[in-house]
Amino acid sequence: MTDQLGALTTIFTEFYYWITVVLMFLIHVGFCMYEVGASRYKHHQHTLMKNTMLIPLVTVTWFFFGWWIYWAFPTGPGLAPSIMNGSAALITDDSLFSAKWYVPTSDLMAVNLGDHISGVFWAAFLLFSWTAASIVSGAVIERITTFAFGICAIAIGSVFWSIDAAWGWHFDGWMLKLLGYHDAYASGVIHAIAGGFALGILIVLGPRIGKFSSSGEPRNIGPRNPWLVTIGLFLIYTGFWGFYAACNIPIFDLGPEYGMEGVTYFTATNIYVTPTTLGGITMNFLMSLSGGLLAGYVIAKGDPFWTYSSGLAGIICASAGNDLYHPIQAMIIAMIGVVIAYKLHYWVERTFKIDDAVGAVAVHGYAGVAGLIICGFVLNGYPSSGYSVGSMWVGTDYAPINPLGMFIGAVIMFGVLGLIPGWIIAKILHGMGKLRIPREVEIAGLDYNLLEAARNDEKAVSSSTR
Amino acid sequence: MATVTNWIDHLSAAEVQGAIYPGVGTEGILVIVALVIWIGWHVLTNNSESKELEQLARKRHSANDHKSNITEW
Repeated sequence: MTDQLGALTTIFTEFYYWITVVLMFLIHVGFCMYEVGASRYKHHQHTLMKNTMLIPLVTVTWFFFGWWIYWAFPTGPGLAPSIMNGSAALITDDSLFSAKWYVPTSDLMAVNLGDHISGVFWAAFLLFSWTAASIVSGAVIERITTFAFGICAIAIGSVFWSIDAAWGWHFDGWMLKLLGYHDAYASGVIHAIAGGFALGILIVLGPRIGKFSSSGEPRNIGPRNPWLVTIGLFLIYTGFWGFYAACNIPIFDLGPEYGMEGVTYFTATNIYVTPTTLGGITMNFLMSLSGGLLAGYVIAKGDPFWTYSSGLAGIICASAGNDLYHPIQAMIIAMIGVVIAYKLHYWVERTFKIDDAVGAVAVHGYAGVAGLIICGFVLNGYPSSGYSVGSMWVGTDYAPINPLGMFIGAVIMFGVLGLIPGWIIAKILHGMGKLRIPREVEIAGLDYNLLEAARNDEKAVSSSTR
Repeated sequence: MATVTNWIDHLSAAEVQGAIYPGVGTEGILVIVALVIWIGWHVLTNNSESKELEQLARKRHSANDHKSNITEW
């Protein structure tokens, strides 16, 4: 960095993403509190540690291969040629945005004076990975083994979400080109896929003991500590500010980027490098949160657990198009998403005996899918990219946003990259006898030994005189 | 091991070397070490979890037994 303007832009961008990482850390704090609040006393400590340990497991694998996948897979491979090198193969050549620079042995994956941005960008995406894994964590509490959850967390956090981000979030992604896929704040690439993945596991894992009566009627279990759930969800809301900011590029000159001669146009952009404003997305974030809360309060008859979750579901549903929506559109879309997610949750629970302990499949999966489909209609005709826009199915050009493309995109996110891999991995773990804890342990409580040891310590201490 | 021994020399070079961590060039070995740690951790924790679950399952506690262990520190 030798000129002042370039240095200022680079260091501002570096600091901007760094702040988003710190804010997004609160999402994980919130998920931990939420899960502990939703679980029963005898499972608290294992529930907490299960979600906590996904941090190192996903982080290390994100360093090993998750980040590489994101940069290597935008072409499919084999589905659409890259706009950088014209090839539909994995992007591992010498081009600027190649995966070649992000293998774990690369000197760019470390303190490097020549690259201030890759590290914070790596971290921002890693925090998205934690979120994806943490969404799954809540659904499976009180009966999955920590080992099995670790494998599932690595799969969703460092493999499948990274593939979907390459396909549907990367500026060179094949889903933008062929489908006109648009998902500015991750209705699909984080939420729908994580919800689908969780559902795939739940199908194999089965419900908690006692969740369904002998006649198949579902029973409500908890939450044991509604106040911890409340704080947890407020922290997730807070972390979502960082999530939204991290999905933007804070300052970018689109004139030369789009090849417009003599044009200088500095703006914030979304992840696709198309213009938006931090102010506009902030309004939409708050209006979609409000729409979710309003609808949730009515449909759940004031139940705090569902009302708070509906605030989140509202944001998630509007997120695909919150870079462009009007705030009132965002609010209405959020309300629609919440009604769909709530109704589907109970229908699936009753019909298929699926025990989604925290409503994660509904809040993230169903609301995310609904958001993608709605986005296809509301943003129909908008360009999915600024680089070049053509008609659908034209290879190197980018299809405009359209309802069919967004519907197919939703199926890919929820089903192809979420539900199916989750189901297959759970089946394998089940076949190995590693998926579910023994029935006797589930009844006694995962924390039984810890509680017993604490009780013995207490007795020993209270009977001591010196 | 030190990649930089004089900052003035380092930053005034015709082409400033970006990587400044100790042991530039040993990244492959570091990755292998990290892989061994990572795999080893999974093996260790899987074994200990299996053992713990087996032992607890054999005791066949009822659903409310844990309540007698709630502490009042």
